Amino acid sequence: MLGRAEDGRETLPSAGQHARRRRLRALLRECKAVPGAGLPAGTAGAPIQTPFGTARAVEGDTVSRRPVAVAALREGVAFVDGIQRFSVEGWFGVIPVVRGYVAAAALWREDGALSVQAVRTEEFLVAPCTCMPASVVDELRALGFPVYDSQVDDRRHPLLDTQRAVEVLDRRRRWVERAVVDAVRRDRPEAWIVVDGSLRGYDAHAGSERLLGVIKSHETQFLAGADLDAALTLPAGCRTTVSMRRGQKGNPVHSWYLRLWDWADRHILYGLLRIERPPLPDTPAACDAISGWLLAERAPVARDVRRDRLLYPMHQVEEVLRARAGGWQ
Amino acid sequence: MIPDRTGPPIGRVVATEQAPSSPYQFNFWTAVDATIGIGAIVRVDGGDGTVVYAVVIDGVAYSDLGEALHDVLATDGQPDASPAPTVRREIRLWTARVLRHLPEEPMRPVPLTAVHAAGEADVELALRMESYLRTSPPTGVPVGVYVAGGMRAPVRLDANFVTGPESAHVNITGISGLATKTSAVEFLLGSLFATFPASKGGVAAVCFNVKGADLCFLDQPGTLTEEDRALYEDLELSPVPFEQVHYFAPFKADGINLNTLRSHPDLAETVQPLVWGLQEVLDYHDVLLNRDDLDAKAAAFIDFLADRVVDREFRDDWGTVHRVRTFTDLEGLFRAIFDGLEQSARGEIWRTHHIATIRKVRNRLLNISVRCKGLVSDDGSASDLPFGAFEDRSVYVIDVAGTDQLAQELVFTRVVSRLREHLERRDLGVDNVVVFVDELNKYAPAEGPETYVRKMLLDISERGRYLGLVLFSAQQFRSQVHRRVVGNAGTVLFGRMDMDELATPGYHVLSPTTRSKLAALPKGELMVRHPHFTHPVFLRFPRPAVMTGPDGLAAFPPAPDVPFEDAVVRHLVALDRNIAPAEVKAILVDRTETEVREALIATRRAKPETPLAYFRAALGPRVRRSVAPDRRAGSTPLQPVEDPYAS
Repeated sequence: MLGRAEDGRETLPSAGQHARRRRLRALLRECKAVPGAGLPAGTAGAPIQTPFGTARAVEGDTVSRRPVAVAALREGVAFVDGIQRFSVEGWFGVIPVVRGYVAAAALWREDGALSVQAVRTEEFLVAPCTCMPASVVDELRALGFPVYDSQVDDRRHPLLDTQRAVEVLDRRRRWVERAVVDAVRRDRPEAWIVVDGSLRGYDAHAGSERLLGVIKSHETQFLAGADLDAALTLPAGCRTTVSMRRGQKGNPVHSWYLRLWDWADRHILYGLLRIERPPLPDTPAACDAISGWLLAERAPVARDVRRDRLLYPMHQVEEVLRARAGGWQ
Repeated sequence: MIPDRTGPPIGRVVATEQAPSSPYQFNFWTAVDATIGIGAIVRVDGGDGTVVYAVVIDGVAYSDLGEALHDVLATDGQPDASPAPTVRREIRLWTARVLRHLPEEPMRPVPLTAVHAAGEADVELALRMESYLRTSPPTGVPVGVYVAGGMRAPVRLDANFVTGPESAHVNITGISGLATKTSAVEFLLGSLFATFPASKGGVAAVCFNVKGADLCFLDQPGTLTEEDRALYEDLELSPVPFEQVHYFAPFKADGINLNTLRSHPDLAETVQPLVWGLQEVLDYHDVLLNRDDLDAKAAAFIDFLADRVVDREFRDDWGTVHRVRTFTDLEGLFRAIFDGLEQSARGEIWRTHHIATIRKVRNRLLNISVRCKGLVSDDGSASDLPFGAFEDRSVYVIDVAGTDQLAQELVFTRVVSRLREHLERRDLGVDNVVVFVDELNKYAPAEGPETYVRKMLLDISERGRYLGLVLFSAQQFRSQVHRRVVGNAGTVLFGRMDMDELATPGYHVLSPTTRSKLAALPKGELMVRHPHFTHPVFLRFPRPAVMTGPDGLAAFPPAPDVPFEDAVVRHLVALDRNIAPAEVKAILVDRTETEVREALIATRRAKPETPLAYFRAALGPRVRRSVAPDRRAGSTPLQPVEDPYAS
């Protein structure tokens, strides 16, 4: 880390600074704190839209930790993920006209080998249909793209309106992901299906005992207090007990945390997954086994900066989708 | 006509900015379990009727593992950790060198389409074999079988590029014992004999056996495996040994036991002595005398002897008529000159030649019969190859394995010179002769003093194809052979190679992977370079259908050397098993060894129906008449002459 001289110029860290940092980390350890990676950064990332949610413990009264025994799943399993890309193709006044591309795929794993099970893609336009002459909208549709309204407000804001268009993109991506899950369920009704991200929007499949959501980002915290401490400071190879959180439409979802890798000297979220499952009575009982084989998914390690949380098969789904995206890569 | 594709595609051409597809090279991927490897021939169809044939020269496999450390992490540092639930994605990425574009023009980068394994008909087109297999008459010479992914395709060389006139000569390189160089040459020779186009005339081979018993059993059937027989079938060849093989070997120093490992009584009759006298040797004195010996004065005197004295009546200055045909005769002439000069007190000059020069030449020439004892005789008896009567599809093996280097060089030089002379006159008996020389490192080294043998090999390499004189050569280190000798070889075969050799500049045209494959090539597999092939190809060839040296020695152990009389008996019994040894020994009573040797050589050369009668006759009046001067009857083999000029 750079230091700063009395005249304000930046200087290389001095031996004294290193020593102070070492003492700081030692002190943190003495205080039972866990030292982090200590990497320099400028910002804490993008603003979090939904920082908090609610959940209640369903496996015991409070959230506690359970060690997990690694046990690889030998059955066939499908991994589902999606991607989205967009480009602003023009401006109708100050409102963006966005061309979007979404794709989702399922890779089927059997005997360790991955193969493509299902793929869905959609390319479309997001335009301010209500602000445009109907003839122009018709001409856009005549190009062969589905055209979705970007639902802009009356007050124009080019960046905000672009975000609105991207929200359409988000919805379309989730839609093709669900379509892929449906396809897998049709073709392989007995298969485990692991979806990248939350089970939000999978209400139609509520009750599906072999559907799992694996969440890597932890923007929304459903736990608080000691429960949150227990969850976010999980040791490697442990899971939390199961909670139930409310879904998007008020539908309940079972959820628990699983730590894949030791996070000491790293970020508090390093290697931390949150698992979601439709609320079935056997979730607490099945949780150990599910956590065990998800823990086994630590290997192989994905070639990605998110490798601590990105399961290798899920990374492969992304790779397939990127490869198929052609010019959208 | 481009053949249809066989089977589904095995891969797809890929090109990136860093590794683009070019008209001569491209990359393609395959499934991990694709039956393809280095040396495989593939085809790429352009979709517009164009086809590109290529040979795989390199391959890599890699996974999406970002860092080796990630694998350590994934296994918790335990090498024996349980396999991961997902097998990491791998890629097999191959590099192929283009063999041929169809049509040839316009030459464009290889299209980014599917890749298919080549079928048998594809291999023919890829290697441009149709240009000499679909002609009348076809001139293909089977050299091996291309094997890949369960497909086998025979590969043939163009006889016009093996024996001339377009290109000629075959050179083979590889580690001793592992490269199967001799086997490859034997097989190729058999193949050449079996398929040589009649329109190109007759063909024979002269093979110099320079080590062990390598070439001593070419007429005996060898042991073949089922795979060998299948390869012969693929190549449409019959696995039979050479039908006509003529063996020649000099005598040992005793002058009666042949210096060859093919001396078993059952085979002895097939070996002819190779013995030369003064006449045969004098023209090749350059080979035997080094540059220090051959100053201008000495050379002039030798030329005088060759032109004016040898094999003609020569009257010396003191009235004696000499007819010099043998080293013994020559010694008589020298003695007469020295005695005459001494007695007549005429000083030190004889016919413009100083006596010191005469003494020097005498010492050097007379030493030849001592240094090459067994090959060069004092008494003028000669037994030579049948120059002028060579037979089509015959092999003439000259076994010089047991002789010293000087004698070997004399044999090479004289035999090759005579072959060239006869081929120039078109009176050898055949139109094409293959000369096989092993250990080319030794006889045509890249460095070192100029030798007569090296000059001779260079001459064959550079001019032989116009005469039908073809060099099949082999060596362990191609880089250590004279560049013009190996460079003139139209067809080059590589067996298993030494890594040090492969590191020399001559092999940098090959990809590192190809070089690695060469360093580990199994027996029976060769990399073949031929003028019609744009890039070398790997082929399998069967064992030659002849007995190997070690097998031959086990089946036909060499007979031990025996005393003079017993050796004569053995020679005659080999010609006729009904001859009684006692009868032979009775004939030999009171005969000199020189007489007997002459008669024996004459008998072996004639191969009469009744050898003993012929021998007796040859030993009788006819032989006595030819031994004219009385002093010669009692002459003994020349002893080494002390060299007064030696420093």
